[in-house]
Amino acid sequence: MTAYRPLMEFAEVEVRYQAEPALMDISFRIEEPAFTVVVGPNGAGKTTLLKTALGLVKPARGRVVVLGVDVVKDPWRVRRMIGYVPQRERIDQTMPALVKDIVLMGRALRRPLIGRLSEEDVEAALRALERVGLSNLWDAPFAHLSGGQQQRVLIARALAAEPKLLLLDEPLSGVDAASQEVIVRLLADLARSGVGVVMVSHDLNPVLDYADYVLLLNRRLIAFGRPAELLEPDLLSKTYGKDVKVFRMGTQCFVISGDSHA
Amino acid sequence: MLELLTSHILARALTAALTASVVSALVGTFLVLRRLSSMGAAIAHMCFAGAIAAYVAGVNPMVGALVPSLLLALAASYARRKREGQSEAILAAAIGISSAVAALALSFSREYSAVAFSYLVGDVLGVSEDEVSLLIAVSALITAIVALLYRGLKYSALDPETAEAMGLRVSLFEYLLGVLAALLLVVEIRVVGMILAQVYLVAPAAAAWEIAHSVEGMMALAIALSLISAVAGFSTSIALDLPTSAVIGVVAATIYAITLTLSPKRRGRCLLAFLRRECKV
Repeated sequence: MTAYRPLMEFAEVEVRYQAEPALMDISFRIEEPAFTVVVGPNGAGKTTLLKTALGLVKPARGRVVVLGVDVVKDPWRVRRMIGYVPQRERIDQTMPALVKDIVLMGRALRRPLIGRLSEEDVEAALRALERVGLSNLWDAPFAHLSGGQQQRVLIARALAAEPKLLLLDEPLSGVDAASQEVIVRLLADLARSGVGVVMVSHDLNPVLDYADYVLLLNRRLIAFGRPAELLEPDLLSKTYGKDVKVFRMGTQCFVISGDSHA
Repeated sequence: MLELLTSHILARALTAALTASVVSALVGTFLVLRRLSSMGAAIAHMCFAGAIAAYVAGVNPMVGALVPSLLLALAASYARRKREGQSEAILAAAIGISSAVAALALSFSREYSAVAFSYLVGDVLGVSEDEVSLLIAVSALITAIVALLYRGLKYSALDPETAEAMGLRVSLFEYLLGVLAALLLVVEIRVVGMILAQVYLVAPAAAAWEIAHSVEGMMALAIALSLISAVAGFSTSIALDLPTSAVIGVVAATIYAITLTLSPKRRGRCLLAFLRRECKV
Protein backbone atom coordinates (compact mmCIF):
# COMPACT_ATOMS: atom_id res chain seq x y z
CA MET A 1 0.00 0.00 0.00
CA THR A 2 2.97 2.31 0.49
CA ALA A 3 2.94 3.23 -3.23
CA TYR A 4 -0.49 4.82 -2.77
CA ARG A 5 0.41 7.19 0.08
CA PRO A 6 -1.06 9.49 1.06
CA LEU A 7 -4.50 7.97 0.71
CA MET A 8 -5.96 11.49 0.49
CA GLU A 9 -4.51 14.91 1.09
CA PHE A 10 -6.12 18.33 0.73
CA ALA A 11 -3.73 21.27 1.15
CA GLU A 12 -5.30 24.75 1.46
CA VAL A 13 -8.01 23.81 -1.03
CA GLU A 14 -10.59 26.33 -2.12
CA VAL A 15 -13.47 25.46 -4.48
CA ARG A 16 -15.88 27.99 -5.96
CA TYR A 17 -19.05 27.61 -8.01
CA GLN A 18 -19.07 30.84 -10.05
CA ALA A 19 -18.18 33.38 -7.37
CA GLU A 20 -19.81 31.40 -4.54
CA PRO A 21 -17.30 29.61 -2.29
CA ALA A 22 -18.20 25.95 -1.73
CA LEU A 23 -15.05 24.92 0.17
CA MET A 24 -12.60 27.28 1.85
CA ASP A 25 -9.10 26.62 3.08
CA ILE A 26 -9.49 22.85 3.51
CA SER A 27 -6.38 21.03 4.73
CA PHE A 28 -6.23 17.47 6.01
CA ARG A 29 -4.25 14.31 5.35
CA ILE A 30 -5.29 10.66 5.59
CA GLU A 31 -2.12 8.60 5.48
CA GLU A 32 -3.24 4.96 5.79
CA PRO A 33 -6.36 3.10 4.64
CA ALA A 34 -8.99 3.96 7.24
CA PHE A 35 -12.74 4.49 7.59
CA THR A 36 -13.17 8.26 7.41
CA VAL A 37 -16.54 9.95 7.61
CA VAL A 38 -17.11 13.50 6.37
CA VAL A 39 -19.96 14.98 8.40
CA GLY A 40 -21.82 18.24 7.98
CA PRO A 41 -25.24 19.77 7.30
CA ASN A 42 -26.83 20.11 3.84
CA GLY A 43 -24.87 22.60 1.73
CA ALA A 44 -21.68 22.12 3.77
CA GLY A 45 -19.70 21.09 0.69
CA LYS A 46 -19.49 17.35 1.45
CA THR A 47 -20.35 16.20 -2.08
CA THR A 48 -18.10 18.92 -3.50
CA LEU A 49 -15.24 17.53 -1.42
CA LEU A 50 -15.78 14.07 -2.95
CA LYS A 51 -16.05 15.53 -6.48
CA THR A 52 -12.84 17.47 -5.91
CA ALA A 53 -11.11 14.26 -4.78
CA LEU A 54 -12.31 12.63 -8.03
CA GLY A 55 -11.15 15.54 -10.17
CA LEU A 56 -14.72 16.22 -11.31
CA VAL A 57 -14.48 19.71 -9.78
CA LYS A 58 -11.27 21.71 -10.11
CA PRO A 59 -10.10 23.64 -7.07
CA ALA A 60 -9.57 27.37 -7.50
CA ARG A 61 -6.61 27.09 -5.15
CA GLY A 62 -4.66 24.42 -3.30
CA ARG A 63 -3.46 20.88 -3.97
CA VAL A 64 -5.36 17.59 -3.90
CA VAL A 65 -3.51 14.29 -3.80
CA VAL A 66 -5.39 10.97 -3.87
CA LEU A 67 -3.63 7.59 -3.73
CA GLY A 68 -0.35 9.42 -4.19
CA VAL A 69 -1.47 11.10 -7.44
CA ASP A 70 -2.09 14.81 -8.00
CA VAL A 71 -5.78 14.79 -8.98
CA VAL A 72 -5.67 18.03 -10.98
CA LYS A 73 -2.77 16.78 -13.09
CA ASP A 74 -4.00 13.22 -13.67
CA PRO A 75 -7.65 12.72 -12.69
CA TRP A 76 -8.19 9.67 -14.93
CA ARG A 77 -5.41 7.71 -13.22
CA VAL A 78 -7.05 8.36 -9.85
CA ARG A 79 -10.54 7.49 -11.10
CA ARG A 80 -9.36 4.13 -12.42
CA MET A 81 -8.26 3.15 -8.90
CA ILE A 82 -11.39 4.35 -7.11
CA GLY A 83 -14.74 2.80 -6.31
CA TYR A 84 -17.53 5.39 -6.23
CA VAL A 85 -21.01 5.12 -4.73
CA PRO A 86 -23.25 8.05 -5.76
CA GLN A 87 -26.22 9.37 -3.83
CA ARG A 88 -29.01 6.90 -4.55
CA GLU A 89 -31.41 9.80 -5.18
CA ARG A 90 -29.19 10.98 -8.05
CA ILE A 91 -29.58 7.83 -10.10
CA ASP A 92 -32.71 6.67 -11.88
CA GLN A 93 -34.09 4.03 -9.52
CA THR A 94 -36.45 2.70 -12.19
CA MET A 95 -33.70 2.26 -14.78
CA PRO A 96 -33.99 -0.91 -16.84
CA ALA A 97 -31.18 -2.85 -15.23
CA LEU A 98 -30.84 -6.14 -13.41
CA VAL A 99 -28.76 -6.32 -10.24
CA LYS A 100 -26.09 -8.24 -12.17
CA ASP A 101 -25.91 -5.43 -14.77
CA ILE A 102 -25.22 -2.91 -12.03
CA VAL A 103 -22.60 -4.99 -10.23
CA LEU A 104 -20.88 -6.09 -13.44
CA MET A 105 -20.62 -2.42 -14.42
CA GLY A 106 -18.06 -1.94 -11.63
CA ARG A 107 -16.02 -4.80 -13.03
CA ALA A 108 -16.44 -3.82 -16.69
CA LEU A 109 -15.14 -0.30 -16.04
CA ARG A 110 -11.82 -1.87 -15.07
CA ARG A 111 -11.57 -3.87 -18.31
CA PRO A 112 -10.83 -2.83 -21.93
CA LEU A 113 -13.99 -1.44 -23.53
CA ILE A 114 -13.88 -3.92 -26.37
CA GLY A 115 -14.24 -7.63 -25.70
CA ARG A 116 -16.27 -9.88 -23.47
CA LEU A 117 -16.08 -10.11 -19.70
CA SER A 118 -14.43 -13.31 -18.44
CA GLU A 119 -15.79 -15.93 -16.05
CA GLU A 120 -13.38 -14.50 -13.50
CA ASP A 121 -15.02 -11.07 -13.84
CA VAL A 122 -18.47 -12.56 -13.27
CA GLU A 123 -17.20 -14.43 -10.21
CA ALA A 124 -15.64 -11.24 -8.82
CA ALA A 125 -18.95 -9.43 -9.28
CA LEU A 126 -20.79 -12.28 -7.56
CA ARG A 127 -18.32 -12.17 -4.64
CA ALA A 128 -18.92 -8.43 -4.28
CA LEU A 129 -22.68 -9.01 -4.17
CA GLU A 130 -22.15 -11.78 -1.65
CA ARG A 131 -20.15 -9.40 0.51
CA VAL A 132 -23.17 -7.10 0.86
CA GLY A 133 -25.37 -10.13 1.56
CA LEU A 134 -27.47 -9.99 -1.60
CA SER A 135 -26.12 -12.79 -3.81
CA ASN A 136 -29.65 -14.23 -4.05
CA LEU A 137 -30.73 -11.09 -5.95
CA TRP A 138 -28.27 -11.51 -8.88
CA ASP A 139 -31.04 -11.78 -11.48
CA ALA A 140 -33.54 -9.41 -9.82
CA PRO A 141 -34.57 -6.12 -11.45
CA PHE A 142 -32.84 -3.22 -9.66
CA ALA A 143 -36.10 -1.25 -9.63
CA HIS A 144 -37.80 -3.96 -7.55
CA LEU A 145 -35.40 -3.64 -4.59
CA SER A 146 -35.95 -1.67 -1.39
CA GLY A 147 -33.91 1.49 -0.78
CA GLY A 148 -31.51 -0.34 1.53
CA GLN A 149 -31.02 -3.18 -0.96
CA GLN A 150 -30.42 -0.74 -3.82
CA GLN A 151 -27.80 1.03 -1.74
CA ARG A 152 -26.03 -2.25 -0.99
CA VAL A 153 -26.06 -3.18 -4.70
CA LEU A 154 -24.42 0.17 -5.51
CA ILE A 155 -21.75 -0.59 -2.90
CA ALA A 156 -21.26 -4.06 -4.42
CA ARG A 157 -20.72 -2.41 -7.81
CA ALA A 158 -17.93 -0.28 -6.36
CA LEU A 159 -16.42 -3.33 -4.61
CA ALA A 160 -16.49 -5.37 -7.83
CA ALA A 161 -13.91 -2.92 -9.21
CA GLU A 162 -11.54 -3.99 -6.39
CA PRO A 163 -10.72 -0.36 -5.60
CA LYS A 164 -7.83 0.99 -3.56
CA LEU A 165 -10.14 3.67 -2.23
CA LEU A 166 -13.92 3.72 -1.85
CA LEU A 167 -15.77 7.06 -1.94
CA LEU A 168 -19.41 7.04 -0.86
CA ASP A 169 -21.87 9.93 -1.08
CA GLU A 170 -24.57 9.71 1.63
CA PRO A 171 -24.95 5.91 1.50
CA LEU A 172 -27.09 5.95 4.66
CA SER A 173 -29.62 8.46 3.36
CA GLY A 174 -33.15 7.03 3.02
CA VAL A 175 -32.00 3.64 4.29
CA ASP A 176 -33.63 1.75 7.19
CA ALA A 177 -31.71 1.29 10.46
CA ALA A 178 -30.95 -2.41 9.82
CA SER A 179 -29.41 -1.67 6.40
CA GLN A 180 -27.49 1.26 7.88
CA GLU A 181 -25.91 -1.12 10.39
CA VAL A 182 -25.01 -3.65 7.65
CA ILE A 183 -23.46 -0.91 5.47
CA VAL A 184 -21.44 0.73 8.25
CA ARG A 185 -20.09 -2.64 9.52
CA LEU A 186 -19.12 -3.60 5.97
CA LEU A 187 -17.27 -0.32 5.42
CA ALA A 188 -15.40 -0.69 8.70
CA ASP A 189 -14.40 -4.27 7.70
CA LEU A 190 -13.20 -3.02 4.32
CA ALA A 191 -11.02 -0.38 5.94
CA ARG A 192 -9.51 -3.04 8.22
CA SER A 193 -8.76 -5.18 5.16
CA GLY A 194 -6.71 -2.35 3.59
CA VAL A 195 -9.22 -0.48 1.41
CA GLY A 196 -9.46 3.22 2.20
CA VAL A 197 -13.03 4.37 2.80
CA VAL A 198 -14.20 7.99 2.72
CA MET A 199 -17.91 8.37 3.29
CA VAL A 200 -20.05 11.49 3.34
CA SER A 201 -22.95 11.65 5.81
CA HIS A 202 -25.16 14.31 7.33
CA ASP A 203 -25.86 11.94 10.25
CA LEU A 204 -23.10 11.22 12.73
CA ASN A 205 -24.87 8.71 14.99
CA PRO A 206 -24.79 5.54 12.80
CA VAL A 207 -21.01 5.80 12.28
CA LEU A 208 -19.82 6.86 15.74
CA ASP A 209 -18.86 3.34 16.85
CA TYR A 210 -17.18 2.36 13.58
CA ALA A 211 -15.39 5.36 12.03
CA ASP A 212 -11.62 5.67 12.45
CA TYR A 213 -11.68 9.39 11.66
CA VAL A 214 -14.36 12.04 11.42
CA LEU A 215 -14.02 15.24 9.44
CA LEU A 216 -16.44 17.99 10.50
CA LEU A 217 -17.20 20.27 7.57
CA ASN A 218 -19.23 23.35 6.95
CA ARG A 219 -17.58 24.90 3.92
CA ARG A 220 -14.53 25.22 6.17
CA LEU A 221 -12.86 22.38 8.00
CA ILE A 222 -14.18 22.58 11.55
CA ALA A 223 -12.17 19.65 12.93
CA PHE A 224 -10.54 16.39 11.87
CA GLY A 225 -9.69 13.56 14.25
CA ARG A 226 -10.86 10.46 16.08
CA PRO A 227 -14.63 10.40 16.74
CA ALA A 228 -14.20 10.44 20.53
CA GLU A 229 -12.09 13.60 20.29
CA LEU A 230 -14.72 15.45 18.26
CA LEU A 231 -17.80 14.74 20.37
CA GLU A 232 -17.75 18.23 21.77
CA PRO A 233 -21.01 20.21 21.68
CA ASP A 234 -19.11 23.37 20.69
CA LEU A 235 -17.49 21.77 17.65
CA LEU A 236 -20.70 20.06 16.58
CA SER A 237 -22.76 23.22 17.05
CA LYS A 238 -20.25 25.11 14.92
CA THR A 239 -20.52 22.38 12.25
CA TYR A 240 -24.32 22.27 12.12
CA GLY A 241 -24.83 25.98 12.76
CA LYS A 242 -27.26 25.28 15.60
CA ASP A 243 -27.32 24.01 19.17
CA VAL A 244 -26.14 20.39 19.36
CA LYS A 245 -26.04 18.21 22.49
CA VAL A 246 -24.05 15.04 23.14
CA PHE A 247 -25.67 12.37 25.34
CA ARG A 248 -23.64 9.57 26.84
CA MET A 249 -25.31 6.33 28.01
CA GLY A 250 -22.66 3.96 29.31
CA THR A 251 -20.24 3.43 26.44
CA GLN A 252 -22.73 4.74 23.86
CA CYS A 253 -22.95 8.34 22.62
CA PHE A 254 -25.76 10.09 20.78
CA VAL A 255 -25.68 13.44 19.11
CA ILE A 256 -28.93 15.38 19.14
CA SER A 257 -29.51 18.68 17.38
CA GLY A 258 -32.70 20.62 18.13
CA ASP A 259 -35.60 18.33 17.33
CA SER A 260 -33.63 15.73 15.37
CA HIS A 261 -30.36 13.82 15.27
CA ALA A 262 -27.30 15.57 13.92
CA MET B 1 -45.13 -7.48 -65.82
CA LEU B 2 -46.89 -4.68 -63.91
CA GLU B 3 -47.48 -7.10 -61.04
CA LEU B 4 -43.78 -8.02 -60.96
CA LEU B 5 -42.78 -4.35 -60.97
CA THR B 6 -45.24 -3.57 -58.19
CA SER B 7 -44.03 -6.46 -56.05
CA HIS B 8 -40.40 -5.33 -56.60
CA ILE B 9 -41.25 -1.78 -55.51
CA LEU B 10 -43.12 -3.09 -52.46
CA ALA B 11 -40.24 -5.38 -51.47
CA ARG B 12 -37.75 -2.51 -51.75
CA ALA B 13 -40.02 -0.21 -49.77
CA LEU B 14 -40.56 -2.84 -47.07
CA THR B 15 -36.80 -3.48 -46.86
CA ALA B 16 -36.20 0.26 -46.36
CA ALA B 17 -38.93 0.57 -43.72
CA LEU B 18 -37.74 -2.49 -41.78
CA THR B 19 -34.04 -1.52 -41.91
CA ALA B 20 -34.81 1.99 -40.69
CA SER B 21 -37.04 0.64 -37.93
CA VAL B 22 -34.42 -1.77 -36.54
CA VAL B 23 -31.45 0.63 -36.51
CA SER B 24 -33.54 3.51 -35.17
CA ALA B 25 -34.64 1.33 -32.25
CA LEU B 26 -31.01 0.41 -31.60
CA VAL B 27 -29.78 4.01 -31.46
CA GLY B 28 -33.03 5.19 -29.84
CA THR B 29 -32.50 2.83 -26.90
CA PHE B 30 -29.35 4.72 -25.87
CA LEU B 31 -30.90 8.13 -26.59
CA VAL B 32 -33.89 7.36 -24.36
CA LEU B 33 -31.72 5.83 -21.62
CA ARG B 34 -29.42 8.88 -21.66
CA ARG B 35 -32.44 11.25 -21.69
CA LEU B 36 -31.43 12.63 -25.09
CA SER B 37 -34.73 12.08 -26.95
CA SER B 38 -35.14 15.80 -27.60
CA MET B 39 -31.70 15.85 -29.21
CA GLY B 40 -32.97 13.24 -31.71
CA ALA B 41 -35.98 15.43 -32.52
CA ALA B 42 -33.84 18.55 -32.94
CA ILE B 43 -31.36 16.75 -35.23
CA ALA B 44 -34.27 15.46 -37.35
CA HIS B 45 -35.53 19.05 -37.78
CA MET B 46 -32.03 20.22 -38.65
CA CYS B 47 -31.74 17.46 -41.28
CA PHE B 48 -35.01 18.59 -42.81
CA ALA B 49 -34.06 22.27 -42.93
CA GLY B 50 -30.55 21.49 -44.19
CA ALA B 51 -31.83 19.26 -47.00
CA ILE B 52 -34.40 21.85 -48.16
CA ALA B 53 -31.94 24.74 -47.99
CA ALA B 54 -29.34 22.73 -49.92
CA TYR B 55 -31.89 21.76 -52.56
CA VAL B 56 -32.87 25.39 -53.06
CA ALA B 57 -29.19 26.40 -53.23
CA GLY B 58 -28.46 23.67 -55.77
CA VAL B 59 -26.23 21.69 -53.41
CA ASN B 60 -26.56 17.94 -52.72
CA PRO B 61 -29.43 17.76 -50.13
CA MET B 62 -27.68 14.94 -48.25
CA VAL B 63 -24.63 17.13 -47.67
CA GLY B 64 -26.96 19.96 -46.69
CA ALA B 65 -28.61 17.69 -44.13
CA LEU B 66 -25.41 16.14 -42.80
CA VAL B 67 -23.31 19.22 -41.97
CA PRO B 68 -25.76 21.15 -39.73
CA SER B 69 -26.98 17.89 -38.13
CA LEU B 70 -23.48 16.85 -37.10
CA LEU B 71 -22.74 20.37 -35.85
CA LEU B 72 -25.92 20.37 -33.77
CA ALA B 73 -25.20 16.89 -32.36
CA LEU B 74 -21.71 17.98 -31.27
CA ALA B 75 -22.85 21.39 -29.98
CA ALA B 76 -25.73 19.89 -27.96
CA SER B 77 -23.42 17.30 -26.37
CA TYR B 78 -20.87 20.02 -25.58
CA ALA B 79 -23.54 22.30 -24.09
CA ARG B 80 -24.87 19.46 -21.98
CA ARG B 81 -21.49 19.11 -20.30
CA LYS B 82 -20.27 22.68 -20.18
CA ARG B 83 -23.49 24.65 -19.83
CA GLU B 84 -25.65 22.40 -17.73
CA GLY B 85 -29.31 23.39 -17.94
CA GLN B 86 -28.91 25.23 -21.25
CA SER B 87 -28.75 22.27 -23.63
CA GLU B 88 -32.56 21.88 -23.64
CA ALA B 89 -32.90 25.55 -24.60
CA ILE B 90 -30.34 25.09 -27.38
CA LEU B 91 -32.26 22.09 -28.76
CA ALA B 92 -35.58 23.94 -28.61
CA ALA B 93 -33.99 26.91 -30.36
CA ALA B 94 -32.53 24.58 -33.01
CA ILE B 95 -36.03 23.21 -33.77
CA GLY B 96 -37.38 26.74 -34.14
CA ILE B 97 -34.46 27.97 -36.23
CA SER B 98 -34.53 24.96 -38.56
CA SER B 99 -38.28 25.39 -39.13
CA ALA B 100 -37.68 29.06 -39.94
CA VAL B 101 -34.87 28.22 -42.38
CA ALA B 102 -37.05 25.62 -44.12
CA ALA B 103 -39.95 28.11 -44.40
CA LEU B 104 -37.61 30.78 -45.76
CA ALA B 105 -36.16 28.42 -48.37
CA LEU B 106 -39.67 27.40 -49.45
CA SER B 107 -40.71 31.03 -49.88
CA PHE B 108 -38.43 31.35 -52.92
CA SER B 109 -40.66 29.20 -55.10
CA ARG B 110 -43.84 27.13 -54.87
CA GLU B 111 -42.20 24.28 -56.79
CA TYR B 112 -40.12 23.48 -53.71
CA SER B 113 -43.23 22.54 -51.73
CA ALA B 114 -43.41 19.06 -53.26
CA VAL B 115 -39.74 18.44 -52.38
CA ALA B 116 -40.30 19.70 -48.85
CA PHE B 117 -43.31 17.42 -48.45
CA SER B 118 -41.27 14.42 -49.57
CA TYR B 119 -38.60 15.18 -46.93
CA LEU B 120 -41.32 15.67 -44.33
CA VAL B 121 -43.24 12.41 -44.83
CA GLY B 122 -40.75 10.50 -46.99
CA ASP B 123 -41.46 8.44 -50.04
CA VAL B 124 -41.02 4.82 -49.09
CA LEU B 125 -42.69 3.51 -52.24
CA GLY B 126 -40.66 5.82 -54.47
CA VAL B 127 -37.30 4.98 -52.90
CA SER B 128 -34.51 4.08 -55.34
CA GLU B 129 -32.18 1.08 -55.27
CA ASP B 130 -29.23 3.36 -54.43
CA GLU B 131 -31.07 5.00 -51.55
CA VAL B 132 -31.94 1.63 -50.00
CA SER B 133 -28.35 0.46 -50.47
CA LEU B 134 -27.03 3.57 -48.72
CA LEU B 135 -29.53 3.10 -45.89
CA ILE B 136 -28.44 -0.53 -45.45
CA ALA B 137 -24.73 0.36 -45.57
CA VAL B 138 -25.04 3.16 -42.98
CA SER B 139 -27.25 0.92 -40.81
CA ALA B 140 -24.64 -1.84 -40.93
CA LEU B 141 -21.91 0.64 -39.98
CA ILE B 142 -23.95 1.99 -37.04
CA THR B 143 -24.78 -1.54 -35.85
CA ALA B 144 -21.10 -2.52 -35.99
CA ILE B 145 -20.06 0.55 -33.97
CA VAL B 146 -22.77 -0.11 -31.37
CA ALA B 147 -21.73 -3.76 -31.09
CA LEU B 148 -18.05 -2.84 -30.75
CA LEU B 149 -18.54 -0.10 -28.15
CA TYR B 150 -21.63 -1.57 -26.52
CA ARG B 151 -20.36 -1.58 -22.93
CA GLY B 152 -19.25 2.05 -23.03
CA LEU B 153 -22.56 3.17 -24.58
CA LYS B 154 -24.55 1.12 -22.07
CA TYR B 155 -22.79 2.28 -18.91
CA SER B 156 -22.46 5.90 -19.97
CA ALA B 157 -26.23 5.95 -20.57
CA LEU B 158 -27.24 3.93 -17.51
CA ASP B 159 -25.33 5.82 -14.81
CA PRO B 160 -23.10 8.52 -16.32
CA GLU B 161 -22.06 10.02 -12.97
CA THR B 162 -20.60 6.77 -11.62
CA ALA B 163 -19.17 5.75 -15.00
CA GLU B 164 -17.25 9.03 -15.22
CA ALA B 165 -16.17 8.90 -11.57
CA MET B 166 -14.75 5.41 -12.14
CA GLY B 167 -12.78 6.29 -15.26
CA LEU B 168 -15.07 6.04 -18.31
CA ARG B 169 -14.86 9.01 -20.69
CA VAL B 170 -18.62 9.53 -20.80
CA SER B 171 -18.38 12.69 -22.93
CA LEU B 172 -16.87 10.73 -25.84
CA PHE B 173 -19.83 8.34 -25.82
CA GLU B 174 -22.27 11.25 -25.74
CA TYR B 175 -20.61 12.79 -28.78
CA LEU B 176 -20.58 9.39 -30.50
CA LEU B 177 -24.29 8.89 -29.82
CA GLY B 178 -25.11 12.30 -31.29
CA VAL B 179 -23.04 11.55 -34.41
CA LEU B 180 -24.69 8.13 -34.88
CA ALA B 181 -28.16 9.70 -34.55
CA ALA B 182 -27.23 12.42 -37.08
CA LEU B 183 -25.86 9.89 -39.62
CA LEU B 184 -28.94 7.71 -39.29
CA LEU B 185 -31.41 10.58 -39.63
CA VAL B 186 -29.63 11.96 -42.71
CA VAL B 187 -30.02 8.69 -44.64
CA GLU B 188 -33.50 8.02 -43.27
CA ILE B 189 -35.04 11.41 -44.05
CA ARG B 190 -35.15 10.83 -47.83
CA VAL B 191 -36.62 7.35 -47.37
CA VAL B 192 -39.10 7.58 -44.50
CA GLY B 193 -39.24 11.35 -43.97
CA MET B 194 -38.47 13.56 -40.98
CA ILE B 195 -41.66 12.81 -39.09
CA LEU B 196 -41.31 9.03 -39.14
CA ALA B 197 -37.54 9.21 -38.62
CA GLN B 198 -37.97 10.96 -35.29
CA VAL B 199 -40.92 8.76 -34.27
CA TYR B 200 -38.84 5.65 -35.07
CA LEU B 201 -35.95 7.01 -33.04
CA VAL B 202 -37.88 7.69 -29.85
CA ALA B 203 -41.31 5.99 -29.63
CA PRO B 204 -40.35 2.26 -29.70
CA ALA B 205 -37.42 2.77 -27.30
CA ALA B 206 -39.52 4.90 -24.95
CA ALA B 207 -42.28 2.25 -25.01
CA ALA B 208 -39.72 -0.48 -24.30
CA TRP B 209 -38.32 1.54 -21.36
CA GLU B 210 -41.74 1.34 -19.71
CA ILE B 211 -41.71 -2.46 -19.81
CA ALA B 212 -38.15 -3.80 -19.84
CA HIS B 213 -35.98 -4.62 -16.81
CA SER B 214 -32.62 -4.70 -18.59
CA VAL B 215 -30.90 -2.70 -21.32
CA GLU B 216 -30.70 -5.78 -23.53
CA GLY B 217 -34.41 -6.48 -22.93
CA MET B 218 -35.22 -2.85 -23.70
CA MET B 219 -33.26 -3.00 -26.94
CA ALA B 220 -34.87 -6.27 -28.06
CA LEU B 221 -38.33 -4.98 -27.20
CA ALA B 222 -37.71 -1.64 -28.94
CA ILE B 223 -36.66 -3.48 -32.11
CA ALA B 224 -39.71 -5.79 -31.89
CA LEU B 225 -42.13 -2.89 -31.38
CA SER B 226 -40.47 -0.96 -34.18
CA LEU B 227 -40.81 -3.92 -36.57
CA ILE B 228 -44.44 -4.44 -35.55
CA SER B 229 -45.13 -0.75 -36.24
CA ALA B 230 -43.40 -0.99 -39.62
CA VAL B 231 -45.19 -4.15 -40.77
CA ALA B 232 -48.62 -3.14 -39.44
CA GLY B 233 -48.32 0.42 -40.73
CA PHE B 234 -46.97 -0.68 -44.10
CA SER B 235 -49.72 -3.21 -44.78
CA THR B 236 -52.46 -0.88 -43.53
CA SER B 237 -51.22 1.97 -45.71
CA ILE B 238 -51.16 -0.27 -48.80
CA ALA B 239 -54.62 -1.67 -48.07
CA LEU B 240 -56.19 1.76 -47.41
CA ASP B 241 -54.02 3.71 -49.89
CA LEU B 242 -52.70 6.09 -47.24
CA PRO B 243 -49.19 7.66 -46.88
CA THR B 244 -46.99 4.79 -45.61
CA SER B 245 -44.71 6.78 -43.29
CA ALA B 246 -47.61 8.59 -41.69
CA VAL B 247 -49.46 5.35 -40.94
CA ILE B 248 -46.34 3.66 -39.52
CA GLY B 249 -45.79 6.75 -37.35
CA VAL B 250 -49.35 6.62 -36.05
CA VAL B 251 -49.02 2.91 -35.19
CA ALA B 252 -45.69 3.47 -33.36
CA ALA B 253 -47.08 6.44 -31.45
CA THR B 254 -50.21 4.46 -30.50
CA ILE B 255 -48.10 1.59 -29.15
CA TYR B 256 -46.12 4.10 -27.07
CA ALA B 257 -49.29 5.70 -25.73
CA ILE B 258 -50.64 2.27 -24.71
CA THR B 259 -47.42 1.21 -22.92
CA LEU B 260 -47.18 4.58 -21.21
CA THR B 261 -50.71 4.21 -19.87
CA LEU B 262 -50.43 0.56 -18.85
CA SER B 263 -46.74 0.61 -17.86
CA PRO B 264 -45.85 -2.08 -15.31
CA LYS B 265 -43.30 0.38 -13.87
CA ARG B 266 -46.13 2.76 -13.13
CA ARG B 267 -48.37 -0.24 -12.35
CA GLY B 268 -51.16 1.23 -14.45
CA ARG B 269 -51.56 3.97 -11.85
CA CYS B 270 -52.05 6.68 -14.43
CA LEU B 271 -54.92 4.88 -16.16
CA LEU B 272 -56.56 3.91 -12.89
CA ALA B 273 -56.18 7.41 -11.54
CA PHE B 274 -57.64 8.83 -14.74
CA LEU B 275 -60.61 6.49 -14.46
CA ARG B 276 -61.09 7.72 -10.91
CA ARG B 277 -60.84 11.30 -12.17
CA GLU B 278 -57.69 11.80 -10.15
CA CYS B 279 -55.18 11.92 -12.95
CA LYS B 280 -53.20 15.14 -12.77
CA VAL B 281 -51.01 14.42 -15.79
